[in-house]
Amino acid sequence: MIIAVSGKGGTGKTVVASLLVRSLAERDTYDILAIDSDPDSNLPEALGVEVERTIGEIREELLEKRDSLPPGVSWRSRLEYEAMRALVETEGFDLLSMGRPEGPGCYCAANHVLREIIDTLAKNYDYVIIDTEAGLEHLSRRTTQNVDTMLVVTDTSKRGITTAARIRELAEELQVKFRDIYLVINRATEDTEQKLQEYAREIGLEVIGIVPEDENVRRYDYEGRPLIELPADTPAFSAVREIAEKIAR
Amino acid sequence: MGEEIPVDVGLIYEGERIRKSSMYVDLAGPKSKGAELLRVVPPEEVEDGRVEVIGPDVDEMEEGGRYPLGIYIKVAGEKLEEDLEGVFERKLHYFCNYIQGFMHLNSRDIIWCRISKDAAKKGLKLYHIGKVLVNLYKTEFDVIEKIQVTFYTDEKAVDEHIARARKVYEKRDARAAALKDEDVEVFYSCLLCQSFAPTHVCAITPSRSGGCGAVTWFEGRAAVKVDPSGPIQEIPKGEVLDPLKGEFSGINEYVREKSNGSIERVYLHSIFDYPHTSCGCFEAIAFYIPEVDGIGIVHRDFHGVTPFGIPFSTMAGQVGGGVQSQGFLGISIAYLRSPKFLQADGGWHRIVWMPSQLKERVRDAIPQEMYDKIATETDAQDLETLREWLKSRQHPVVERLAEEEKPEEEAKKEEAQPVAALPELAIPAQGVPVAGAPTEITIIFKNAKIYAEKVIIRRKE
Repeated sequence: MIIAVSGKGGTGKTVVASLLVRSLAERDTYDILAIDSDPDSNLPEALGVEVERTIGEIREELLEKRDSLPPGVSWRSRLEYEAMRALVETEGFDLLSMGRPEGPGCYCAANHVLREIIDTLAKNYDYVIIDTEAGLEHLSRRTTQNVDTMLVVTDTSKRGITTAARIRELAEELQVKFRDIYLVINRATEDTEQKLQEYAREIGLEVIGIVPEDENVRRYDYEGRPLIELPADTPAFSAVREIAEKIAR
Repeated sequence: MGEEIPVDVGLIYEGERIRKSSMYVDLAGPKSKGAELLRVVPPEEVEDGRVEVIGPDVDEMEEGGRYPLGIYIKVAGEKLEEDLEGVFERKLHYFCNYIQGFMHLNSRDIIWCRISKDAAKKGLKLYHIGKVLVNLYKTEFDVIEKIQVTFYTDEKAVDEHIARARKVYEKRDARAAALKDEDVEVFYSCLLCQSFAPTHVCAITPSRSGGCGAVTWFEGRAAVKVDPSGPIQEIPKGEVLDPLKGEFSGINEYVREKSNGSIERVYLHSIFDYPHTSCGCFEAIAFYIPEVDGIGIVHRDFHGVTPFGIPFSTMAGQVGGGVQSQGFLGISIAYLRSPKFLQADGGWHRIVWMPSQLKERVRDAIPQEMYDKIATETDAQDLETLREWLKSRQHPVVERLAEEEKPEEEAKKEEAQPVAALPELAIPAQGVPVAGAPTEITIIFKNAKIYAEKVIIRRKE
């Protein structure tokens, strides 16, 4: 199952994505792959892992030296090897970081091959969670293909909700196929909750969960501690756990 | 097979990755070492069906451990030739991947394998993998009459095996590098760039890799095997219409069909008359400089200007998009190393200018006598300085230049005018991979004189 988490920058998309990874990893029965496809996000930090090489770096490296690779050697299988090497493997989950978007060269062939490689890799997991930028560029270029569930994260601002609506339109325009799309409201307080539910109805998005304002999240963010290590009973985590249960059914 | 294999073997296990948390042992890979090698040997050197493991087998390995791995396969058969070694060796990756609980990545001396906990628990050993390989090779290839498999996990034995393998790879590469268009019957096409260059059909032959440099003839051959209905397809070579220019009836027919009739003929190794179309992703551009009757080359990483006074990016905008542009050709850097590099136009003897960085990068491909005669951005920045510089170095184009210059210098200049104005053509077709053809075209002429009997501009059907 492929779950994409998107939203306007700063809405807490990475909070939701990382806690989702933890919720699913906790069950111990699933193989989980997290994909960081937003160059501006900090999913690896939130998950408490270090990325040595990104897919983008591998692509650049191989494009650089491809004319000196021996003729009988397959570029594709070398990419496959390097992609496996770029995978950060931990007890509970694996992480792949897409890295920076491409430079001025041509990436058609490289991306085509990479897409197949990542699709093949993703098939080895029960859950793939993609932290993706609001522009959905990686999804539209289909470095990762079809999505089962798209979670759009918004904060309590009207702008956040508008962006959420826009993301849905964009996904449809770009022909990113998804089965379900839900809204996740982050940092909600009691007085904003109702109004936001109304907004969501207006734009026709179902709210799958509401993540409350959480002092612990703020503190961890501030101290630069991995969000995945949040206390098990902190309200934000409980909320994401419920979302995970609804999605994973 | 006679012997019990404790795990399943089948196509469905292709693409299986073994996660660290479910892995029993890690073999070779980036943190260890390894190599695989397949050799065709005389029949008396093969003990058919034998599998040997030099060093500990899986049951003697520590759980969670990392070990080096060498795989050595010897095959024999009356019809076998050394040339088949590479083809058979690549098959090893696919065969290994049929085995449940065994992961195998890449080839040669950059391999990475894992055995899963589940498979180890069921009793899977390298020995069994060897038995599977013996069986699969003999089933798939009738010509293999005898086969023997040896695994090395003992460090010293692996080191020796790697050294032996590298010597063989080197010899094999030298042979492959010498492979020419005339040595094969099938070429490949790549249509990946048609999303933004709808009439671009890339023809890939041993002597010409795709403009982007990513698709070589070998890569094409492998891609077709993986995905026969994908964007890379076989092109039957057909008849050789012109061996020097590189014109083949098979390519012409294929390109005509796949470009919807807009491209009729293609010369692979010339920049004139029917040059290959250019996509937009090419790594470099070869461009004809009429003022010196020579050819310049500029690559994507060079940010300065060519002797035409324009940089790569501007030129790329005019060349790309899937059209045949007289005197301009998008190429890969690897093509500069091809023995057929623009052979119809004089090859390296016609090259007059290239950025110093590129010149250094392909130094080994440039004929020695030409190296000091090709100008770079430090030697010539415009057509006038280029001309003088070439004269001072006695570049082969100079002789011809001198002859032509005398009788009709005036006429020559007139003629040259439109070509010099060409760089002002600005077609926004490059770079942005949007579907379909560009919808807006801007044509700007400055100081141009154009003579034509007839000009027809028509909406494309």
